[in-house]
Amino acid sequence: MNFSQILFESAWLIPCYPLVGAITSVIWFPAITRLSGPRPSGYVNAITTLLAFLHGVIALSASWSQPPLQLSFKWLQVADLNLTCPIEISSLTIAATVLITGLNFLAQFYAIGYMEMDWGWARFFALLALFEAGMCALVLCNSLFFSYIILEILTLGTYLLVGLWFNQPLVVTGARDAFLTKRVGDLVLLMGVVALLPLAGTWDFDQLALWAQNSNVDPNVITLVSLALIAGPMGKCAQFPLHLWLDEAMEAPLPSTILRASVVVPAGAWILIKLEPILSLSSFAMSFMVVIGSISAVGGALIAMAQIDVKRALSYLVSSYMGLIFIAVGTAQVESGLLLILTYAVAIALLFMSVGTVFWNSITQNLTQLSGLWSRRPMSGLAFLAGAAGLCAFPPLGGFWALLKLCNGLWSDNPVLVGLVLIVNGLTAFSLTRVFCLIFGGNPKEMAQRSPEVNQFMMLPAMTLMGFVLHLPLILQSLDFLPQWVNLNKDVALLLIWSTIFGISISSVIYLGKSIPKPVQFPLKGLQDLLANDFYTPKIYRQTVVFTVAVISQIAFWIDRYIFDGLGNLFGLLTIFSGEVLKYSTFGKTQAYLLTTVIGIAVILAMNI
Amino acid sequence: MLSILIWLPLIGAIFVGFYPNLTAARTAALAIASATLLITLSLFFKFDPTTSGMQMEEYLPWINEIGLSYRLGVDGLSLPLLALNSFLTWIVIYGSKADIQRSRLYYALILVVSSVVAGAFVAQNLLLFILFYELELIPIYLMIAIWGGEKRTYAAMKFLIYTAISGLLILLGFFAITWLSGSSGFDYNINLEAIASIPLPTQVIILTVLLIGFGIKTPLVPLHTWLPDVYVEASPSVAILLGGVLAKLGTYGLVRFCLQLLPDAWSQLSPVLGIIATISVLYGALTAIAQTDIKRMVAYSSIGHMGYVLLACAAGTKLSLIGAVGQMVSHGLILAALFYLVGVIETKVGTRDLNALNGLLNPIRGLPLTSTLLIIGGMASAGIPGLVGFIAEFLVFQGSFTVFPILTLLCIIASGLTAVYFVILLNRTCFGKLDNATAYYPKVTWTEHTPALILVALIFFLGIQPSWLLRWSEPTTNAMVASLMIDAPSNSKIIVLSYPEAKVNQVLLP
Repeated sequence: MNFSQILFESAWLIPCYPLVGAITSVIWFPAITRLSGPRPSGYVNAITTLLAFLHGVIALSASWSQPPLQLSFKWLQVADLNLTCPIEISSLTIAATVLITGLNFLAQFYAIGYMEMDWGWARFFALLALFEAGMCALVLCNSLFFSYIILEILTLGTYLLVGLWFNQPLVVTGARDAFLTKRVGDLVLLMGVVALLPLAGTWDFDQLALWAQNSNVDPNVITLVSLALIAGPMGKCAQFPLHLWLDEAMEAPLPSTILRASVVVPAGAWILIKLEPILSLSSFAMSFMVVIGSISAVGGALIAMAQIDVKRALSYLVSSYMGLIFIAVGTAQVESGLLLILTYAVAIALLFMSVGTVFWNSITQNLTQLSGLWSRRPMSGLAFLAGAAGLCAFPPLGGFWALLKLCNGLWSDNPVLVGLVLIVNGLTAFSLTRVFCLIFGGNPKEMAQRSPEVNQFMMLPAMTLMGFVLHLPLILQSLDFLPQWVNLNKDVALLLIWSTIFGISISSVIYLGKSIPKPVQFPLKGLQDLLANDFYTPKIYRQTVVFTVAVISQIAFWIDRYIFDGLGNLFGLLTIFSGEVLKYSTFGKTQAYLLTTVIGIAVILAMNI
Repeated sequence: MLSILIWLPLIGAIFVGFYPNLTAARTAALAIASATLLITLSLFFKFDPTTSGMQMEEYLPWINEIGLSYRLGVDGLSLPLLALNSFLTWIVIYGSKADIQRSRLYYALILVVSSVVAGAFVAQNLLLFILFYELELIPIYLMIAIWGGEKRTYAAMKFLIYTAISGLLILLGFFAITWLSGSSGFDYNINLEAIASIPLPTQVIILTVLLIGFGIKTPLVPLHTWLPDVYVEASPSVAILLGGVLAKLGTYGLVRFCLQLLPDAWSQLSPVLGIIATISVLYGALTAIAQTDIKRMVAYSSIGHMGYVLLACAAGTKLSLIGAVGQMVSHGLILAALFYLVGVIETKVGTRDLNALNGLLNPIRGLPLTSTLLIIGGMASAGIPGLVGFIAEFLVFQGSFTVFPILTLLCIIASGLTAVYFVILLNRTCFGKLDNATAYYPKVTWTEHTPALILVALIFFLGIQPSWLLRWSEPTTNAMVASLMIDAPSNSKIIVLSYPEAKVNQVLLP
């Protein structure tokens, strides 16, 4: 058995490396920090991540020619419930871990530069590593139940990671909202998980797929279960109406944002893809997915256009692209979905890296305060361009192929959805160009006056990733993952290219041209406000869900105080009161007592007669 | 062997309380508690987890005329709770200050509580149980009244009255069971068939009386109203004993006497019990959200978590009953950790008010380790996987779902509300900006950290290796289920299939 084979068979170790790193970081809390400074914890985690990455790469090379390997870890056997964690080691799952650990390594390297001045290194890197371990375990494990466990732990991770800079009030509310929104999705997913077992008798994805093929389950029940199962990925993928958290999670440090946007959020889509065989039992659930996906795709793209915060402008595109993946799964195009996840993940990571370098030393992330950086920051600008081109349908880069494949599959059955993808692509191109023009175009403003390129810790990963994004089509080509040109509909390709060009050109005319006064205003003020404020979702939530829970809890507490406790105290009072009253009956005259006794005996005797 | 668990702490208490000029009361109490804990742990080696009956039985005739005998035994239900009792006693003694006021009385009383509670868990005679159950009132009453907070006399009196009523009702129920079934004594192994021959309506009445009795102790809504005041006014150590151990007497009684002695009536009432459980769960979570005092918030959370136990018992499936036992232990551990940490925060910061607390996670001037542990404790209580709270709640949900689908879903929603108030708690206490003017808190010493660290380590360990928690109880709970006849609602559309064996090609790992 050669080395790569051993690594292939032990691929379940991949999540353990980052976990070891995360646990090791605990010693830097906080005693050792005074001696060594916080930085070693970051290096430890970067090294463990690199080890996981290398393990994955070598195992991947051995995995091509082999059938998937199924392992199982026994966790808990209790009553009639057997919780064994099945693990699937295949080229797909190992490739996914390579993507996760690779992006994670770049993000951690980037964080070494980005978090230079920070004191929370141990916490930050430990949480990044926790995410990495969780994500790797998620793709390797082949059971819905354990996926749920991991998703739920990552929800806690999100809370802590978003709350890293807990001194700031916005961060605290952001962490809260991120946790609770994701938790809502998780709990509905839990309902689905709990309800699925009595139906299917298993949680293993493979066996669920088998079960789905030949089961005759009540359609109403399976629709309800499917809807519950969709809710988890909806929360993770920041789909409307659970999209709010992603916006607020932008308060977290940027390296974690890179990771969140590129791998954590797509983890939800991964679960969705795994669940597709069950979901396809219910046509209503599939349509529901398409509808949610469409709303999120268009809504996210629209909102992104009106954001003045760079991170938020990009984060709504995350929701939007996840919406496209929902559409792909909802129309049973799993392969297009996976391809889209891959091309999207690397491109969005590059975009976030690029803007991160910009506002790291420009102090601001407000688009209205930045401009004219192209002359000062050509490398950041190039990275942004490459990321943008890789994300939207810009041939020959990855996004083009993924969207083309998706549209090609939609063309015959759902032409309307093709139109929707075209619109989303156009809007994405528009808003990316807008961000680019506002940051890099025009003349430098105050905040952009002194803004040199950043240090190599941030630049190096950005450039590496840029190279990867640019070469992605070639890599995919060599692995035969790209759709064959002859099988594709050329009209769709043309339409996609046109929509991209359309978006780019209109946006550049608006934001670079001299004819339109700056800052650019939408013709309709109300519409601009609506989009800029995320359809007023936070407000709606505050006035409905949050308000309702707060009022009900106050009412419950009131009932507790004044009714339940009041009743208890009333008994006490009555006792005291009756005692107080009765004490006046003891007036101390023996004759009176005697009289009472005699009368009593007389009454009893009278009754007996 | 079991007698030692009762008599060692009791003799220890007498020693600590009455030995002249004893200066190191804490050390002596700690030594006794450690010995008790070790003996309890050694029970796990002796215990045979494959049988369902009573083990290590001891018997001494006592007052045969009234049917009272000194009969002890342990099974899969009482063993984890015994361990919880010994362990939390140790934690409480370790976590208390040596120079606490009237330290000898304090430590003696804790040992008495430990002894009496152990007695209640191992008693195999109804009267013996009642004896221990009532005895436990006295030391706890004194501990609340002497070392409590501002309104301690009110709280102690409230506790005394409610629990005394509870004991009275239980005694009434026991008498009814014994006399109506025509049994000669009060031993647990009295003829179950004779009990079953009591007319069902009468059984239901007896069960209701017992339920109210144990429901006060557990507590269940609407009998819970003593709990918030008592938990809040009691000192953290007493609150740990109350919520971690004594509340378990209530749930233990629910399973041991209500479910096991009156299975027919229990099956009859189970839908009602499920509804009461769900109301408790929702009610506890909702009222906790409205609190501004962190101790009170934790106290209300306890009501909700006890509701899960009742839901699981009402459902009465194999899985749900194991979940119930798991939930009892996990709730004890988590509540102890939370109360302990709240106590640390109160002594160091000087307040429990959510509106005054802020930014304790600050690594230099805050209480970073305490805050970290509080986050873990809160998240364990909110049911995050990997921690012990999750697996217990999950087994409860999964086990109850086939019987009460709607109620279980409501309880899952309530576990989301649990997350809401813990996020409120953590956001206000641990996160945020530390107030510069006041924030030079005394350092928390390692001795003060240790109990919480041990509890959190255990919460982690049992969360990752839940079979260590659950494997003791399975035969016992299975045997209980066998006597129950709760049907899944016939109108439910859920078809229960048998779980097929995994057909995955299993490859043995190196």
